[in-house]
Amino acid sequence: MAGIWVFAEDRDQTLELLGAARDIADKLSGKVAAFAGGGHPARDYIEYGADTVFQFPELAEGRPLESFVPVIADLARELSPDVFLIGATGRGKEIAARLATRLEAGLCSGCIGLKLDAKGKLMMDRLVYGGAGVQTVVCAGPPQMATVPPRTFEPAQPQPGRSGEIRELPAPPASPVQVIARTPRQKGTVDVTEAKIIVCVGRGLAKKEDVELARQLAEVLGGEIGCSRPIAEELQWLPEEVYLGISGKKVKPALYLGIGVSGQVQHITGIRDSKVIFAINRDENAPIFEAADYGIVGDLYTVVPVLIEELKKALKA
Amino acid sequence: MDFNLTEEHQLIRQSVREFCDRYVCPIADEVDQEPRFPAETVKKLAEQDWLGIPYPVEYGGAGSDYLSYVIVVEELSRACATTGFTLECHSCLAEFPLFKFGTEEQKKKYLTPLCKGEMLGSFALTEPGAGTDAAAGTTTAVLDGNEWVLNGSKIFISNAPVAGVIIVFAMTDKSKGTKGISAFIVPAGTPGLEIGRHLNKMGIRGSLTAEVYLKDCRIPKENLLGGEGQGFKIAMMTLDGGRIGIAAQALGIAQAALDESIKYSKERVQFGKPIGTFQAIQWMIANMATEVQASRFLTYHAAWCYDQGLPYSSQAAMAKLFASETATRQTDRAIQVHGGIGYIKGTKVERLYRDAKITEIYEGTSEVMRMVIAGGLLR
Amino acid sequence: MLNIVACFKWVVDDADIRVDTGSRKLNVDKAAYKISAYDRNAIEEAVILQEKHGGRVVAVTVAPPGAKPCLKDSLSRGPDSACFINDPCCADLEPSQTAQILARAISSKMDYDLIICGEGSGDIYAQQVGPALAERLGIPCLTWVNKLSCNVDERRIIAERKLEDGVEVVSAPLPVLVVVLPDINAPRIPSLKQVLGAAKKPVENVLLEDLGSIPGARLLTTDVVAATMDRRRIKFPADADGVREAVNALLREGVVS
Repeated sequence: MAGIWVFAEDRDQTLELLGAARDIADKLSGKVAAFAGGGHPARDYIEYGADTVFQFPELAEGRPLESFVPVIADLARELSPDVFLIGATGRGKEIAARLATRLEAGLCSGCIGLKLDAKGKLMMDRLVYGGAGVQTVVCAGPPQMATVPPRTFEPAQPQPGRSGEIRELPAPPASPVQVIARTPRQKGTVDVTEAKIIVCVGRGLAKKEDVELARQLAEVLGGEIGCSRPIAEELQWLPEEVYLGISGKKVKPALYLGIGVSGQVQHITGIRDSKVIFAINRDENAPIFEAADYGIVGDLYTVVPVLIEELKKALKA
Repeated sequence: MDFNLTEEHQLIRQSVREFCDRYVCPIADEVDQEPRFPAETVKKLAEQDWLGIPYPVEYGGAGSDYLSYVIVVEELSRACATTGFTLECHSCLAEFPLFKFGTEEQKKKYLTPLCKGEMLGSFALTEPGAGTDAAAGTTTAVLDGNEWVLNGSKIFISNAPVAGVIIVFAMTDKSKGTKGISAFIVPAGTPGLEIGRHLNKMGIRGSLTAEVYLKDCRIPKENLLGGEGQGFKIAMMTLDGGRIGIAAQALGIAQAALDESIKYSKERVQFGKPIGTFQAIQWMIANMATEVQASRFLTYHAAWCYDQGLPYSSQAAMAKLFASETATRQTDRAIQVHGGIGYIKGTKVERLYRDAKITEIYEGTSEVMRMVIAGGLLR
Repeated sequence: MLNIVACFKWVVDDADIRVDTGSRKLNVDKAAYKISAYDRNAIEEAVILQEKHGGRVVAVTVAPPGAKPCLKDSLSRGPDSACFINDPCCADLEPSQTAQILARAISSKMDYDLIICGEGSGDIYAQQVGPALAERLGIPCLTWVNKLSCNVDERRIIAERKLEDGVEVVSAPLPVLVVVLPDINAPRIPSLKQVLGAAKKPVENVLLEDLGSIPGARLLTTDVVAATMDRRRIKFPADADGVREAVNALLREGVVS
């Protein structure tokens, strides 16, 4: 009986992995197991498709989450899952790499898509060369392991009344790494990854004050502001929470509107899953036009105000 | 014959490119347009050990070869001709005469701080009435007790406003013609040394070029560089090596013109195609690339001769002649490839065109280069 | 005094990658190679710690023999010596193999207090070798670190990890492996003296076969193609009519309401 395991640091990602795991399990006639953090109700994941939930105990003060690696590894040696999907957060990536080493398993990092081949092996896609290429890999398992970035898969749907088992896991062994302090990130009021419409600014903007133009456009559309890397990292006109790209946020809005964004491959990697991509840039040869559904080659300082007016008219109607 | 650059030379080129991306390119336009002297860059050049490349470690230099120096000048000039030239003028014109003709005392006192980048150097030979005819200068130096007293004026002196020391050429014995000229070390701030107005130039606009006045400027007897009457020889030998430096600068400018033209040809679309698909543009690029390659090999070969201890005067002249004429010719073609946008300030090729011209003139005009080359063959 | 190992990889410069539009294959034939940008941060951090606490830095890489120019490049950035584990098959290793090979070489040939790795390689960016290597060596691992300090007397590292939910300050005893983020430092540009000095620094050449049989691959690549985006690429003129048409197109798409 194939076992498909999922582990993620938070509920949202666990539900996404459960969605993918359920698909795989159905095709392989297998069972799904999910890990639940200390204090998280295991029933929740059972409702969302897990046949088994492995419940961690509460993590003691001063212990890093990674101290559970030996516990997970022992469990995997005991139960031999066929597939193990792990949410690709910082901690998830470290845990996955260390588990893969302990289990002598192959690990596909940053899996952006997967399918089963005729033999029931997972063929997984991931990006290479800064987003310019797609590599397809197969893992020698078991388990076949992958880390999966957030929002790669659709979350599982709840099935109230589903049954499943809960297994409590032991406390982790002593770990040489101590956590001395944790400073939670100051969350901005908006999470750009949740936005349905994003207006993104790039180097085509002449000065910081011009971000206001993008804000006006975003307001008319009911969207949020994002930016390309130089705007956040070098110019610091916007916080790094809203920088979209291969090493920034990856978003899947219904509409992405890039103004003065050239469209380097590292940025496109962050927005490639948008439903509609619209670009405004005065350089007809800007790479973004290759990646866009709609484009206007023109000076954003003339086009955007007209666009704002036309949108206001159209949306009032 | 091994045409490959050593790993060290390749690493040097890589490090200069990284340096340019980080520090030089971002300010190149403002250096040209304000214009302003990139003083902060000069400080960083010193930290990279680039202000005394071919001079011995015991005098604060890097103890490397002339080819390394040429690569640094080439790459800096490719990003910003002002920066490349500031380094070249300092290294070739100010440091060389001190290295070749200075006493131990003089080397310790002046060459060492120059090589370490503690101060910049300058070279004052040209006068309003003495350009190519360098021996026609009227600046005089008279020995009065323990001091030389200098009187006269110099023009087009690069780095003068920021130099810590200037090598000044003056007539010590009018009756002896070229053998009556001597070289002197004049520290900045010496009473009687006045730096005049900055000259408003067509290109290399960030480089500081000024008139220099000597009005009863008194310097210690020990500040005579080389022997009395050796000045003309010192100037000519210095300029020989300087030619290789200018060839490197011109090479960098021409390479930049080629890079910009290739980039633009691939991106600019007219009649539904990138202009690089049209033969007219292809031929311009082919000519440009061929001449840049030729400039490169003439320049590197001249540097190689210098490093091998072989005669290099003719080779240096050929390199400067060809590289400078290539730079002016090809920056002109580069603007043509760009069309209208090439004429607009802020487009790199507009700056390159203006920067290129001086390479045919200073440190020996192209006419002088031809005289040197012909002289070497026909005498 | 600290014995520090900095791991680095010699990778293709992405700017040189060409796409064959017919087959969608990526062509790296004309590509130049360089030390992966993330690894420059690792080397720089190692050198910064060595300058502060004394000791030695060894730069280690697993690469095909043709990558030899990487050694002087790495040495010009500050390490005292380099270790070149090489074999033609090293061009095609997957992360678990690289980690095993590094573990064998490091444990058999070096004393170390600290191993520093970049957050991922510039080409494949699997982000596995650091933690996998730590696991092989049986030492603790601190990942995604953008601030690092060492108390040599107490033999402890204190590090700040930048994670999605905030900053986690951690501490671990030496020996330890640290995976650093690019914002931990700005790698210095090698000075001329550093470049010239690189040739004088020792390099240990290690043949892969001397480390035992090559570990089997656990991850197999079946294909690599250019990433494409099939988009409509419809353009509107920049005048008032064009903008109006664009707005209508967005309304039709149902993405604006």
